[in-house]
Amino acid sequence: MPATTRPQSLICEVTHRCPLHCLYCSNPIEMQQSAAELPAEVWRRVFQEAAAMGILHLHLTGGEPLARKDLAELIQAGHEAGLYVNMVTSGVGMTEERLAGLVQAGLEHLQLSFQDADEARANYIAGTRAHAWKLGLVPLIKRQRLAFTVNLVVHRQNLDCLEEMIALAESLEPNRIEIAHVQYYGWALKNRSLLMPTEEQVQYALPVVEAAKTRLRGKIHLDAVLPDYYANFPKACVGGWGRQMILIDPAGRALPCHSAGILLGFEFDNVREKSLSWIWEQSPAFERFRGDAWMSETCRSCDRKERDFGGCRCQAFLLTGDMEAIDPVCTYSPQHGLMEELRKPVGDELLPIYRNS
Amino acid sequence: MTPDSIPQMTPGYRLHPTQDVVLIPEGVLELSGPSRDVLLEVDGKRTVREIVHNLAAKYEGADENEMLDDVVALLGRLAERGVLQG
Ligand code: SF4
Ligand code: SF4
Repeated sequence: MPATTRPQSLICEVTHRCPLHCLYCSNPIEMQQSAAELPAEVWRRVFQEAAAMGILHLHLTGGEPLARKDLAELIQAGHEAGLYVNMVTSGVGMTEERLAGLVQAGLEHLQLSFQDADEARANYIAGTRAHAWKLGLVPLIKRQRLAFTVNLVVHRQNLDCLEEMIALAESLEPNRIEIAHVQYYGWALKNRSLLMPTEEQVQYALPVVEAAKTRLRGKIHLDAVLPDYYANFPKACVGGWGRQMILIDPAGRALPCHSAGILLGFEFDNVREKSLSWIWEQSPAFERFRGDAWMSETCRSCDRKERDFGGCRCQAFLLTGDMEAIDPVCTYSPQHGLMEELRKPVGDELLPIYRNS
Repeated sequence: MTPDSIPQMTPGYRLHPTQDVVLIPEGVLELSGPSRDVLLEVDGKRTVREIVHNLAAKYEGADENEMLDDVVALLGRLAERGVLQG
């Protein structure tokens, strides 16, 4: 089915290189090598194509975007194309001088992620001693003309400390706090048993988030996405396949979602060879799960299909081995029982598996 | 927000150059009615009262006091959402 919506954001993983080794890293386990990374001139063309298609936001992410020496050039290219430029960073490798250069190049928003409120635990999760460094960076960020978001990544190991984490984020006085649950792809999937929260944890977290929202209203905007493993209906994954966003990996492959790379038998067109608008409108990968023709009869005749677009394809694939299966989170899925399996507590004696850089 | 506040756009929050939306870190906020004209006047220097006085000259027949109430309310909502400071 052809595209019926205009993409709103372009997410660019400009590198998979990263000085951290987060347990929850969603980068693919086969990471793109730095030699295969798209050069700045290709990114520049892609940003211009994106702006011409009506895309408004450019999110530079990774890996760690700072690992690219030409990051300021990429930001400038996005800004000159007319895009709102955001970057997601661990902050490792940032200096005051470098930051000033990025802002001058046109950076408008920076998202700094924290692993925990407690230094030792945060460093354990990140596989690196980065926590104190990040805290030290905050005053530098606040001196710049820049919107600032603190990202809190939550999972089984830290969800019990959510209140503390929110308090830490609040003390840094950002414009926004974003609480996101890890997604179980890439390295995170290998560590799923360590990361999956218990139902009690999720039940504890929901009111904590609501209370913080109310308390911070008018001061700090709080967005939170908690896991759907305990829900009865799936969420619309990335706003629906091929409906809102395009992700470009370091080598230039265009994906409809962060983890689409895990789906077997899929070819992703590359922005080196194809224009972004062709990829959006015509590439087989973006067409694959648009509309409802691919859906099971259960979904096709269900009212919620306009809301969840059949749920997450990657989750369906990971859990059932069939990428066309109903998302097992859904009560109507014959494999909904699998969720019960996953929710079962696992021993804490499992060793973490860190990504290597 | 009061008539004497001096509103200013928050860094990282800005009016789209042509569309009726404010670009914000997590997406866009749609603007309705004359909101765009109001935001175009926000410069971090003038008070809401001065902005309204300026606008009233553009909207013929508009009651300046009524307009002041509307603009204070609009800017207050945008400030609460983090778009404005001041
Ligand atoms: S290791 Fe951590 S900081 Fe680095 S890309 Fe993965 S999640 Fe991001
Ligand atoms: S049956 Fe399909 S469309 Fe309906 S709620 Fe479940 S996943 Fe969504």
